[in-house]
Amino acid sequence: MRRGLISWSRDEVPPSVLEGRVARLQEQMRAAELGVVLIYTSFARPSAVAWLTHFVPYWNEALLVVFPTGAPVLLAAFSKRVHDWIRSVSHLGEVRSAPDLGRAAAAFLKERPPEPWRIGVLELDALPWPVAEPIMKSEYGGAVVDATGLFASIRQPADEVEIRLARRAATIAVQAFKAIPTAAKSASELLSVLERSARLDGAEEVLPRLAPDLRADATLRRLEGDALLGERYAVELSVAYKATWVRITRCVSTQAVPPSWHGAADRFVETVERLNEANLSLEPQVGSGKTLAWTLETCRGSPPLSIVATGETPSPSALPGGSLACVSLQLDLDDGPWLGGEPLILGSGRQPSRLLI
Amino acid sequence: MSGLSGNARAERRVRLAAAMADEGIDILVVAGNPWRCDYLRFAADVTPVEGHAFAFIDREGPARIITEHPAEARRLRSEQAELDVRWSLSAIEETETAIRELGKRRIALAPRAAVPYRLAMGPLAASIAPATALLDRLMLRKSPSEIEAFRRAAVLADEGYAVFRDAARVGRPEYALVAEVEAFFRSRGCPENFQILGSGGREVRGMHPPTERRLAPGDLVTTELTPCVDGYYAQICRTLVLGEPSNTQERAFAVYNEALEAGIAAVRPGAKARDVARAQNEVFRDHGLGAYVTSEYTRVRGHGLGLYVDGQPAVLEDVDLNLEPDMTLVVHPNTYHPEVGYFVHGDSVRVIPDGCEVLTRTPRRLFSVPLG
Repeated sequence: MRRGLISWSRDEVPPSVLEGRVARLQEQMRAAELGVVLIYTSFARPSAVAWLTHFVPYWNEALLVVFPTGAPVLLAAFSKRVHDWIRSVSHLGEVRSAPDLGRAAAAFLKERPPEPWRIGVLELDALPWPVAEPIMKSEYGGAVVDATGLFASIRQPADEVEIRLARRAATIAVQAFKAIPTAAKSASELLSVLERSARLDGAEEVLPRLAPDLRADATLRRLEGDALLGERYAVELSVAYKATWVRITRCVSTQAVPPSWHGAADRFVETVERLNEANLSLEPQVGSGKTLAWTLETCRGSPPLSIVATGETPSPSALPGGSLACVSLQLDLDDGPWLGGEPLILGSGRQPSRLLI
Repeated sequence: MSGLSGNARAERRVRLAAAMADEGIDILVVAGNPWRCDYLRFAADVTPVEGHAFAFIDREGPARIITEHPAEARRLRSEQAELDVRWSLSAIEETETAIRELGKRRIALAPRAAVPYRLAMGPLAASIAPATALLDRLMLRKSPSEIEAFRRAAVLADEGYAVFRDAARVGRPEYALVAEVEAFFRSRGCPENFQILGSGGREVRGMHPPTERRLAPGDLVTTELTPCVDGYYAQICRTLVLGEPSNTQERAFAVYNEALEAGIAAVRPGAKARDVARAQNEVFRDHGLGAYVTSEYTRVRGHGLGLYVDGQPAVLEDVDLNLEPDMTLVVHPNTYHPEVGYFVHGDSVRVIPDGCEVLTRTPRRLFSVPLG
C-alpha cells in the first residue's frame, strides 16, 4: 500500500498533458473501432490509470472508463468519503462509487452504451475475476476484446513531463544512497536510513531489495527481520515519485571501492550507450567479467515496470527510441559479483541511449 | 526472507494439507500479487513484491511457484530453497498450461479476489469459490505461532504510535510524519505498514495518504498504523491534538472512548460481528450522533486482521459471522464528528475463550502535543 506523499502539482503535471495522453488513447480507440476502454487499477497495477489521470490508489481498486470522446470516468471501490481526496489528486471527469466494481462497470455500460459496440480491456487476461465476471456475463461480454497492444502503442516514448518526474524519482534514490552511513552494520539500520531519506524527499513509494553480503550471495532480497551487512553489499531501490517509477541498483563497499568496480561501472555505461531501439540486447559485451543476468524494463501497461528484454529470454519485444526504461546488470568479476542499475532514455537511430541522471 | 520459523511454515502446510484432504483436493493453485498476497503467504509463505505469482500446493509434496519476473524467482529460491520456482513473462498463460498438465488430478483455485480472468474462465472456474472458502476458514482462526506474530505486530504498532506522536509538530508536512514512522519500522525489521492519516478540524472527513499539508495549532491529527510482522498485521488508531484539547474535543473523545470500550466488551466467542458493531453504534445513537455511524460518514466499526490489513469479518451491523477463539481483529469506532471533524480510536484484539484480550497497550487517551 502506498505510504508516502501522494499529491498532484498542476505545475509538474499540467492538466493539458493528461488530457493529451487521453486524447492519444481516444484517437487509437477510434482507429480500432472501440466504443470504450476499461482500465483496472490497484496498488499492484496502478501505472496505466496514473499515466492518464494522475490517480494512484493507496489501497483498494478502481476501474477507469474511457470513451472515444470526453473526460474519463472513475468507478471507485473506495468509500464515497474519499472521493474529494481522489478529485484533489487526479484529473477526472467524474468519480462514481462502485463497491462492486464489476457490477458497477456492467451497469455503467448499460447506462452509457458504447458506440461502436466493442469494449477494450487493458490486460484482459489479468483482470481480477470478481471484476471480470459481471462484465463477461453481461450482455456486453461478447463485445470485449483485449486492448493491451493498443495501450502499449501509445504509452512510450516518454514525454518531457514524465521524464522530469522520473529524474526527480532518481534523484530521490541517489540522495538516499548518499545517506547510507559508512558504519552501517545491519540491514535494518541501512533500510531505515534509505526509507527515511526517500520519504522525506517526497517519494510516493520506495521498495528496497538488498543483497546483505555480496560475497556470500548476490540475490536481492525483500528483508523481513534483520541481517548483518557484509563488507560488500548491494541495494536496489525502486522509487516512485508522482506515479513515475525508476529502479536504481548500487554496490556498497565498507572498505575502499574495489578497482574492479570502477571497470564494471565503465562497462555498464558503455553497455547502456550501445542500447537503442534497434538493439535491445545487452549481449555480447566487451570487458572483463561474465554477465550473469540483465534486464531492460519499461512501463507500458498497468505494472510500474515490465520486462522488455532480459538475458534469460531470447527475443526482446519492441520499444521505441525516447522510451523511459531501466536497465539492471549483474556481473561476475574476478573478485566477486557486481550489480548495477539505472534509468535511461532509450536511443533511436544513431542516437545512443543516455542515462537519466 | 521470512522471519517465520520452518516449523511455523510447516504447521500451516499441515493444516492446509488436512483441509485439502477433507475437501478431496490434490493440488491447490493459489494466486497472488502485491495487493492480495495474503492467501499466497498462508499457503506457501511467499510475498510477491512485483507482478503475479502462482503457487501449486501439492498435498503431499513441495510447492511449485510461477512468477512474472526473474528477480522475483531468484529471490523466492533464495528465501526457500525447497521451492521449485519458475518465471515467465506470461506467468498467467504458463500457469494455465501447468494446470492443464496436471490432468485428472483434483485441482482447486483460490482466492477469488486475485485469480485472473484467464484462469477463471478455464476448466477450474467452478472450483474457485469453494477453495477460497477453505482458505478463509483456515486463516480466520490463528494458530499459536500466528498469534505470536500478531502479538509482536501489536507491540510494534504501539511503538510506532509513540514515534508518530513525537514526529507530530506544528509546521511539519503530513508526509514527514509517515517518513519517521516508516524509518522506525524499518529499523525494527518491519517491511510493510499500512498507514493513513488526517489533520485539521471540522473540514476533515476521513483519512488518506499523507499530503503536503503542514500541521497547525489546534489540529486534530488522526492516524491508523498497521505494521506487519512475519506477514501478520496489527493496527492501532489514535487521535492527538496539537496544543491543549478544547472542551469540545475532550467531549468528543469521551464518546469514541465509550464506544471503543463497548465494542471491545462485546467481543467474545459466540458473539457475531454485528454485535460488536451495534455495541459501538448504540453509544453514538445514545449521544445523538446516530447519523454519523452510517456509510455517509464511516466505513466499518473494525475488521479482521491477519495476513491482510482489512480482513474478515467486516464489523458492521449486517455481518453475521460468529466470533471464535483466536480470531484477531481491530475494533475502531472511527467516524466523523460534527463538532471536531474525523476522529479515530481503535485497538487490536484477540478473541479468547472467555472474552477478549486487548493487545494494544497505548493508553486510550486524547493525546496532546505541546506547541513550540
